[in-house]
Formats: sequence, C-alpha cells, structure tokens
Amino acid sequence: MQADVPAHRIELDGAALARFMPMHLLLDAEGRALSFGPTLAQVLRDTAVPGSRFEELFEVRSPGGAVTIGEVLARGGNRFRLVPRNGVKAGLRGLGQRLGPQGAILLNLSFGIDLISAVRELALTDADFAANELAMELLYLAEANAAVTRELRGLNLRLEGARMAAEEEAMTDPLTGLRNRRAADLVLERMCAARTGFGLLHMDLDYFKAVNDTLGHAAGDFVLETVGRILREQVRAEDCAARIGGDEFVVIVAGRSDPKTLQAIADRIIARISRPIEVRGGTASIGIARSTDFAVPDATQLLASADRALYAAKHAGRGRAVLLGAGE
Amino acid sequence: MDALLLRSLQGYVLDTFGLSEWQEVCRRAGLTVGTFEPMLRYDPGTADRIALVVAAVLGRSVDTIWEDVGIYLVTNPDREGVRRLLRFGGTCYADFLHSLEELPGRARLAMPHLEAPDLTLDEVGPDRFELRCHSPLRGLQRVLVGLLTAMADDYGALCLIEPGADDCTVISVLDRRHAEARHFHLALPEG
Repeated sequence: MQADVPAHRIELDGAALARFMPMHLLLDAEGRALSFGPTLAQVLRDTAVPGSRFEELFEVRSPGGAVTIGEVLARGGNRFRLVPRNGVKAGLRGLGQRLGPQGAILLNLSFGIDLISAVRELALTDADFAANELAMELLYLAEANAAVTRELRGLNLRLEGARMAAEEEAMTDPLTGLRNRRAADLVLERMCAARTGFGLLHMDLDYFKAVNDTLGHAAGDFVLETVGRILREQVRAEDCAARIGGDEFVVIVAGRSDPKTLQAIADRIIARISRPIEVRGGTASIGIARSTDFAVPDATQLLASADRALYAAKHAGRGRAVLLGAGE
Repeated sequence: MDALLLRSLQGYVLDTFGLSEWQEVCRRAGLTVGTFEPMLRYDPGTADRIALVVAAVLGRSVDTIWEDVGIYLVTNPDREGVRRLLRFGGTCYADFLHSLEELPGRARLAMPHLEAPDLTLDEVGPDRFELRCHSPLRGLQRVLVGLLTAMADDYGALCLIEPGADDCTVISVLDRRHAEARHFHLALPEG
C-alpha cells in the first residue's frame, strides 16, 4: 500500500471532505470531535455533537484494550473496528491518521457486513454513499442472491414432487391401484433383511380364465379392480397388497406370523371375494408362508413356500387358504 | 437467457390472460410439460419459438408480446424483485440508463452461468441515448424496450423510446421530472 506518493500538499474544505468521505470524523489532537461526515452524523444521531470525545461516541472492538483514539492509533496501526455507543446496531470499520505531528486526526469509517441492516435501520439512500463505494453492489448482490436462492428452493420442491409422483407411479399397478411386482419384491426384501416376523399370502383367483374367456376382458378387468378394492380394504397401512401377475396377488402382512391370525386374514379375504359381485368372479385360493419358518428369511424361499401352499389349496378343492408347516 | 425469458413469458401469459391461453400455447407448441424453469437450460431459440406461438394464440405481433413482457417484469407487484434490482442502478433515469452497461456484470455476480448479452449505452446528445444489445435472442431488444418504458414511469421521467435497426434502441428523455418517482428503499424491511 505504501507506494511512492508525490509530496503534494492538498487542502480540502469541509464540503469536499463530506462529499469524498461521507462517513469521516475529524478530531482535534486530543480526540474531541471537530466535524462529522453527513452519513456518520446519521449513524450517531443526537450524539453527533462537536466537542464530544471519541470514547464517548464509540466503543472500540479492536484493537483490544484501546479506549481513546490515541490508544487506537498507537496499538492498531491505522485500522480499527468500532461500535457506536448510541445503540445503533452498526459495526463500523475504518482507518485513521494524524494530520501532522500535533495536528488533527482524520478517521474514515464504513459499514462492514452490517451495511444492509444499517441501511434499513437508518433509512439510508444512494446519496448517503460516495459514488465510488461498493455499497450499491453489495445491496444489489444480497437481493439478487436471495432471489436466485428462492428460485432454486422452488425448483427443488417441484422436482422432488415430480420425483415422488414418478416413483409412486413406478410402484403402482394401474388397473387395481395396488402395488406392483417390483414394489412387492422391494418390500419383501426389506422385511427379510429386517428379520421381523411377517406373513406372506399368495393368492390366485379360481376360474378367472373362464370369466375372461366367456364374458370378455372388460368383465375380467372389472373382477380384478374389485379384488383390488377388497384387498385395499382388508390390509393395514403397514401391510403391502400387490398384483404381481394376471390374476395373481400377494399380501405381505407386517408383524404377524401367528398361523391362526394369518389363516383368519386369508379366510376373510376369500369370503369377501366369494360374495357375488355384479360379475361373479368366482372364488380365490391362498397359500400362506411365514418368515418365522426360516432361520434366515429369504424372499425367494418364502415365495416358493407360499406357492407350494397355494398349490395345496388348489389341490384341496380351491376356495380355501392353506398354511403348510415348516419343511412341508 | 432462454430460460429466464421463457419463465417471464409464461408468467406474463398466465397472469394477464389466464390458464386456458397458456395451455393452448403449450398444446400448439407441442410441449409435454406446461412449466418452464428459470434455473434450467433450454435449447437456444426456444424462447423465440414459443413467443411466436404466444403471438399466434393471442393474435398480436411478437414484438408487442415481448415489449409487454418487459413491462410486466417491472410493473407486476409479484415480481417487485426485478424492479428493485433495476432501481439499484441509480437515483435518476439517466443514472439508471448509464448503469445498464454494468447490468450483465451484476447479473453474472448472482448467476455465474448466465449468458447475459453485452449492453452498450452511448449518450449521443443532451438527453438522447442509444442502447445497443447484441444477442441471438431476437426478442431481447423488445423486452429491453418494455423494461425501459416501465422504468421511465418508475423514475417519473417522460421518454420516447424507439427500437431502431441493428439492435439499437434510441431513448429521448423529454422531461426528467415529469411525475413523482415511485418510492424506493435501498433495503427491504426485515423478514
């Protein structure tokens, strides 16, 4: 900073000083105020009185321990940070210098990062800053940044909403509104990994092919939609009901591995489906498997076990639910 | 820049004419999604293409549409932010005009990836200015005309703003203090 400065002597009158340094403070050699720049006068409000002492106007934050302007200049070189004592919340920083060996002291202050709150609190305008200051740029940047951040937050929310909708769609069977095979596989794997007891019902509609063949696909779809509604009614929020094939469904019953409970749930589902609806969909058979039948539950083994039980139910005359014991 | 212009165009049509007009624009333009995101990228030329569709749907010239978008950006109360950012340019309309050369730099401070076109302002006579803007976006000059018109009102200045050839816009300030300027506080209230 200490470049070779030509030794010109210049004189600035009060008006020029105020224009170039609207936040200056001119003190006499003893630290008593001689004049205030117009913007600094707005900061100091009614404490901006000529003759008041530097230490009455400001609390020195750095250099530490300094109180008077003499101490500030002696300890901190010519840089310092101040807070006005009148309660205005504006940190000020600046530099100062004695003008001649026994002469006056000139301080030039500015708002640091407190610029925005100071502008707000003191209702400052463009005219309160020297044209070369970056105050306008800082205020501009703060607002532009806030606007960009707001847009990005909005964009994030909209993208998150779209992602959730897409994920939901990718996990749903469009005809019945139940989960699809992919969703069921994920839930099954998660539950196996969690090692909690749960039941798996594998259901297949009896005579569905006949409905489709004799009454047409629209009737078949109607039956599937109705079964979907029934399953949604019969399971709790923590369970998972999915359509995994043409007329094949699975229900994963969370936290239930007691044979009687699972049998009761399966019987209730079959009873609801067997009730004549507008188109008779026939009955359903269900095979039941339990995670607790395996030392280490495994999705493939559980599905195979439920499938064997379903085969047994069909073999035993359809329209019933079968739970095979471990190892059967 | 396309993204910002597209979002502005969308806001202008939605707020001024309504949802059904905007849906018609999306339908005719073959858009699958009816929303432009200001922070995403769109192919260069998209904004000018969509503006032609808007012009066809609303039965107005595309120049008028873009000028209206410029006015909308400054005067719409929901978009007070644009007006405020422009008002940081200076305390009077002439200062504001001179600040336009700094506008692309300021915009890049907040959005480093924005390909903001350079703006050049020449003071060609007393209260007479020429603003040049070189951009592949054909609509941009007219958006600027709209912005300049609305900002003249904001500063209370009476101006003649004529879009000319070669992306040059001639601004004649007829009366610097024609009306009371709208109020402008440097800092927004907290919160």
